[in-house]
Amino acid sequence: MRRAPSWPRHAIMVVVSFLMLVPFYWVLKTSLTGENLNSVIVTTMAICGNLLFNTAAGYALTKQFPGRRWVVLLFLSCMLIPFQATIIPAYLITSWLGVLNSYLGIALPLLSTIICIFIFKASFEAVPRSLIDAARVDGLSEWRIIVRIMLPLSKSAIATNVILTFIWSWNAFLWPLIVIRTPDMQTLPLGLARFLSVMEDTTGALFAFVVMVLVPGLTIFLMAQKEFIRGLTTGATKG
Amino acid sequence: MTSGHQGWYQRKRTRELALVACFLAPALSIFFLYRLLPLGWNVLLSFQSWSPLKAATWIGVDHYEEMLLDDDVFWDALANTLIFIGCSPIAIALALAIALLVNSDLRGAAIYRTIVFLSYPLMTVAVGIIWRWLYDERGGFFNYVLRSSGAIDQPVKFLQSFDWALPCVIAADFWQVLGFYMIILLTGLQSIPQHLYEAARVDGVPAGARFWRITLPLLRPSIFLCIVVGILNSFTSFDLVYVMTNGGPGHATELLITYIYKAGFGQSRFDYAAALTVVQFLLLVVLTVLANRLSGGNAGSLER
Repeated sequence: MRRAPSWPRHAIMVVVSFLMLVPFYWVLKTSLTGENLNSVIVTTMAICGNLLFNTAAGYALTKQFPGRRWVVLLFLSCMLIPFQATIIPAYLITSWLGVLNSYLGIALPLLSTIICIFIFKASFEAVPRSLIDAARVDGLSEWRIIVRIMLPLSKSAIATNVILTFIWSWNAFLWPLIVIRTPDMQTLPLGLARFLSVMEDTTGALFAFVVMVLVPGLTIFLMAQKEFIRGLTTGATKG
Repeated sequence: MTSGHQGWYQRKRTRELALVACFLAPALSIFFLYRLLPLGWNVLLSFQSWSPLKAATWIGVDHYEEMLLDDDVFWDALANTLIFIGCSPIAIALALAIALLVNSDLRGAAIYRTIVFLSYPLMTVAVGIIWRWLYDERGGFFNYVLRSSGAIDQPVKFLQSFDWALPCVIAADFWQVLGFYMIILLTGLQSIPQHLYEAARVDGVPAGARFWRITLPLLRPSIFLCIVVGILNSFTSFDLVYVMTNGGPGHATELLITYIYKAGFGQSRFDYAAALTVVQFLLLVVLTVLANRLSGGNAGSLER
């Protein structure tokens, strides 16, 4: 007896799911405006950039290549330069790149984190050599090895990276303050600071705003304390 | 046959090197663009007279001369930054006490640890707003407590007072960063081998001596890390100061980082701000080296 094709059932369930999700979509769409939307976009960009670039760099560092020592040394010395000590030229560079007052302009320096590169490197190195060799014998390409073996075995490193990047880009203030010129591009912390200066008198609305801003960070932290603390203590200082 | 095999190996090696280069390129370019290049450019800019509409001219150490001889605000900011950093050992000692308590066989220690650490991942701008409200003269927590306990008659304007503003900002900063120090020290404490304590207990070494002779020396790397975080904290506290006092009253809470921001983006004196940044960075380097010396060199490392 042949089984009926599954696509009609899928089609029905897609329509049903869509209908069930409409209210959520509408609430999200309404709340995701202005500063909220800007913060979500910048944070999403930062997280995607971090995952992509840090895994790539971390994987490259597990390989042997000429100049590897120098690259590691370069990363380590960059880790010692606090971003706050570079704001004037960083602003000039961003303006030269033509991305002032844009999402990319805020996200650019946040796109990679050195600590997380080293966390990924350590995690990749912990993958048993025999597993990779076996995969290679089976004819898996380099890409397949990364996607099918390395990444699934590095879930904890990925979680650490996502959480750290979320907290840092969500809370970032000084850099957006410098790069953003118009109110419509402001992220949440900037909006909060502006709100404070407009309403000198402390009111309930201000504190409602404060609570709304704190909740996502707190939730994420409480859900994934272990990864967050692990990331902080491996690198200890902000990258 | 052999040469074909070698050729295959060669090609594979080239492919692998190309992959490594492609994988490293994005991260390297980000850090070149936003760490190394700015650091060098910053030093260059500090010796130049430059503004967005004017070509750069070489002026030597004029900016440094102005800063050191004529700029009172710079000295205020420097002094405040040093006070800010100088107070961090108090927070570290406090955090050490908490870490020792949490690390003992206390029931529910994990809950206490979470609560103490909870303030660290919060958005600093929001923390600043909350503490501004706590210090507020009308509805603030501190004035409420002081007045209802009868300690004062008139409300104190904490953040508008030249004497109180800086300690108040530092206290708010402590509140946020205390948990981070605690976590660093806890990690250090947990890496101390338990058998050392057991041996000392068997030998009848009193608790006080166990702390001074075992715990503290073995915690050296963690304490060094805390001190570095404390130094860096004077950079990252920009958010807190900006929201709570914006450097005021006068320049009573001005830090170097807030002054750099004002000089650069308030008055568009990018060249002068660059010179200030150089001084701030040198301060960071000197203090870190000093802390390293004090903790016995090699970042307080225990192996030598």
